[in-house]
Amino acid sequence: MSYRLQRMPVAAPSVLFSARVLSVILALLTAAAVLALSGKDPIALGGKVLSSTFGSRFGLEDLGLLFSPLLYCGLAVAVGLRIGAWNIGAEGQFNLGAFAATGVALFVPGPAWLLVPLMALAGMAGGALWILIPTLAKAYADVSELITTLLMNFVALLLVYWVATGPWLDPSGMALATTARLSVSVPYVWGIVHWGLPVALMLAVGLAVMFAYTRWGYEVRIGGANPGAAAYAGMPVQRHLILVMLMSGAIAGLGGMMEVAGTVGRLQGGISNNYGYLGIMVAVLARAAPLGVIATAFFMAVILNGGIVLQSQGLTTHTVLAITGLILFYAAIADEVARYKLIPTTGKVTPKGAR
Amino acid sequence: MHEDSIQQRLGLAPGTPPLVALKGVSKYFPGVIANEDVDLAVYPGEIHALLGENGAGKSTLMNVLTGIYHMDAGEIIMDGESRRFASPIDAIAAGIGMVHQHFKLVKAFTVAENIHLGWDATPARISRKALEERTMNLADTLGLAVKPGAIVADLSTGEQQRVEILRVLARDAKVLILDEPTAVLTPSEARDLFAALRAFVARGNAVIFISHKLDEVMEISNRVSILRAGRKIATEWTSDCSETSLAQLMVGREIVLNDMRGDGGARKIGAPMVTLEGVTLKSEYGTVLKNVSLSVRAGEILGIAGVAGNGQRELTYVLSGLVAPSKGTVTLDGEDIGRAGARVFAQKGVGHIPEDRLYAGMAPTLSITDNAVLREYALPPLSNGPWYAPRRALALAREIARIAGVMVPDFAMPARNLSGGNQQRLVARREMRIADKVLIAAYPSRGLDVGAINTMMRYFVEMRDSGVAVVLISEELEEVLNLADRIAVMFHGEIMGVVPAQGADIEQIGLMMGGQRQQGQAA
Repeated sequence: MSYRLQRMPVAAPSVLFSARVLSVILALLTAAAVLALSGKDPIALGGKVLSSTFGSRFGLEDLGLLFSPLLYCGLAVAVGLRIGAWNIGAEGQFNLGAFAATGVALFVPGPAWLLVPLMALAGMAGGALWILIPTLAKAYADVSELITTLLMNFVALLLVYWVATGPWLDPSGMALATTARLSVSVPYVWGIVHWGLPVALMLAVGLAVMFAYTRWGYEVRIGGANPGAAAYAGMPVQRHLILVMLMSGAIAGLGGMMEVAGTVGRLQGGISNNYGYLGIMVAVLARAAPLGVIATAFFMAVILNGGIVLQSQGLTTHTVLAITGLILFYAAIADEVARYKLIPTTGKVTPKGAR
Repeated sequence: MHEDSIQQRLGLAPGTPPLVALKGVSKYFPGVIANEDVDLAVYPGEIHALLGENGAGKSTLMNVLTGIYHMDAGEIIMDGESRRFASPIDAIAAGIGMVHQHFKLVKAFTVAENIHLGWDATPARISRKALEERTMNLADTLGLAVKPGAIVADLSTGEQQRVEILRVLARDAKVLILDEPTAVLTPSEARDLFAALRAFVARGNAVIFISHKLDEVMEISNRVSILRAGRKIATEWTSDCSETSLAQLMVGREIVLNDMRGDGGARKIGAPMVTLEGVTLKSEYGTVLKNVSLSVRAGEILGIAGVAGNGQRELTYVLSGLVAPSKGTVTLDGEDIGRAGARVFAQKGVGHIPEDRLYAGMAPTLSITDNAVLREYALPPLSNGPWYAPRRALALAREIARIAGVMVPDFAMPARNLSGGNQQRLVARREMRIADKVLIAAYPSRGLDVGAINTMMRYFVEMRDSGVAVVLISEELEEVLNLADRIAVMFHGEIMGVVPAQGADIEQIGLMMGGQRQQGQAA
């Protein structure tokens, strides 16, 4: 009996999941092979990564601090994808959120219980504002958001560099390129892990519920998949597009606020640390599902944390980036391969079309 | 027709070979015969019209001739040699150029730049001024006035077409193919075009003129070939034809009259359910509906006949509330709701089976459940306030699939994985559920096999019997004749006339499809 490959219209979730796991293992094996060839001991390095990440409370706290911004940025991109918009600008919106929150902390006097929520609102407003122009351009002039959101990133990044080294520079003269330490901060929940993480997790669950169990979620799904069908059913496609894109920006902005007011404590250039771009990967790996983002953001956090550990072992950041790239590459292949099935061919069986 | 007589009648020397001849050309697409065994010879100095309904295979044939498609059988003969064109570049090098319905110009470039784009005769380095001068010279030589320095986007469609023609002719085309060139022109632009074409063929070239407009074919062509269902039916001297005889050749196939109304006319037709009054619709392409007044009554099927692209699509948009008319009113059951929007139309009982379900009626990448509930997701029990119940949606999707007779292995599967026929059945059933008053069905049998078509037609009779006003738009004249109570014929966005379907004069319908107004009806 011989076998042949047959492409199926859909892959079962279990098959898809195993394919994903397999792709990660393959990516790690490839990376290990490269490390071994360059004279490192991959097993020792891997053990080091695992023990420093999961083996100690400090490792887990660090992991939590990386997990949180990746969640916000991953959710931001995922939300945009729901209406068919590629928000490449989470990086910029994250910066703007941090900037706006810092502005509130530096210049608005008040008690912490009032200031922190106000900073969160300012952060969301900043992120939403930063995507406003790309949103309106897409909604009313059909300008591709891919380009506009990307370009806004550079502006945001430079804006933060400028205020952190210029007008808002720490007046104490102790720091060279940051603002003063913020007077208020997001409270801690566990060691150095602050409320940013639980809020992000709740946000993911809330979004998942909204997309699956509300009329609005259904309309966004239809509008994102086929605007023509949404218009045919009389849905306000444009309104949904604008609202969802602004939401996307606000989520990234909230992530920036949490980063500056929870993790870092001061505004400094490069505070976004590429989280916005990694968020794209997080969202794509999760297929834009908010609950999936929890898993993929966690996974990405482990890799980033592993990268930090590896750097202390003499590997460069580029190696780490290459490994993340490999994982994405293998995952893309796995998604496709998962659709194929081995079918035994006996002599008389006629091939049955997938359609 | 005797070979010699063609040359004689065209004023050519005896024995002059055709510029290009097709012999036995066949082109098949999966499950479709696009062209079969087509012979066509085009001689110097002639304008040869290619006439046929939409889907008759005119465009496919010309795409074969210009190297866009590769034929499955047959040959193209030029200068006594069999030729094969791998691409349109080969075809234009051999002297065959085509002007498509949708222009292939770079709108942001000037006329001169467009003419010289992708042309090996364009000098590698040339100043803007010299380029425009070259264009001017070409335009003068070829007798096509254009403005070399103008940006294409600023030109009228007629001017753009002239640029497109000049682009083809500049590359030394001997045979110019025009695909429904007058569809986008004003009457005076069309006159200019005809004059230019006559001048072109007078220089010993030939034009193949694709059209389904009888008056035009009569006016411009020397000979006319009629295609029907992919085959060439006849080639005639235009002067030997009349619009009537051409209409007969074009649509007068053996019509299988098979009354599907199924009641012998004893039915009671009720009051007008939906009425259009003086509806005019303007779009970026011009006026697409002109002063349309139409009424469909409860318990009747109104068939809309006409060659596709004469305003039927826009009519369905207006009838379903997707587009508000620029002028005029839409009255549904006594209420003027022309501007209320698609959602209100659906809520008030207007179902719409759209022409292009993958573009409008479905979201192919989403699940079958999501697609099946598109009309009822906002109503109880699926929705309660802002909440949406996916389980109830699944139950409704199962119900719709059951009545539609569609086997669905997995309702979470993307709808694109269903066959076209099953997609159509689901959409039809979904729409019938909400169509309490009006059902608009645009080309509902497209892509279906005979059995599925019959099922679909029975659905419509069922709807009609329950007192719904049904509007059936079809390019299959049989379908309309067999099912409808009355037939309205559309041409250029206007209603040419409305005739009772039973005992309708097919020839007269053909004439109306070609733009002749119904006899005895005021304009």
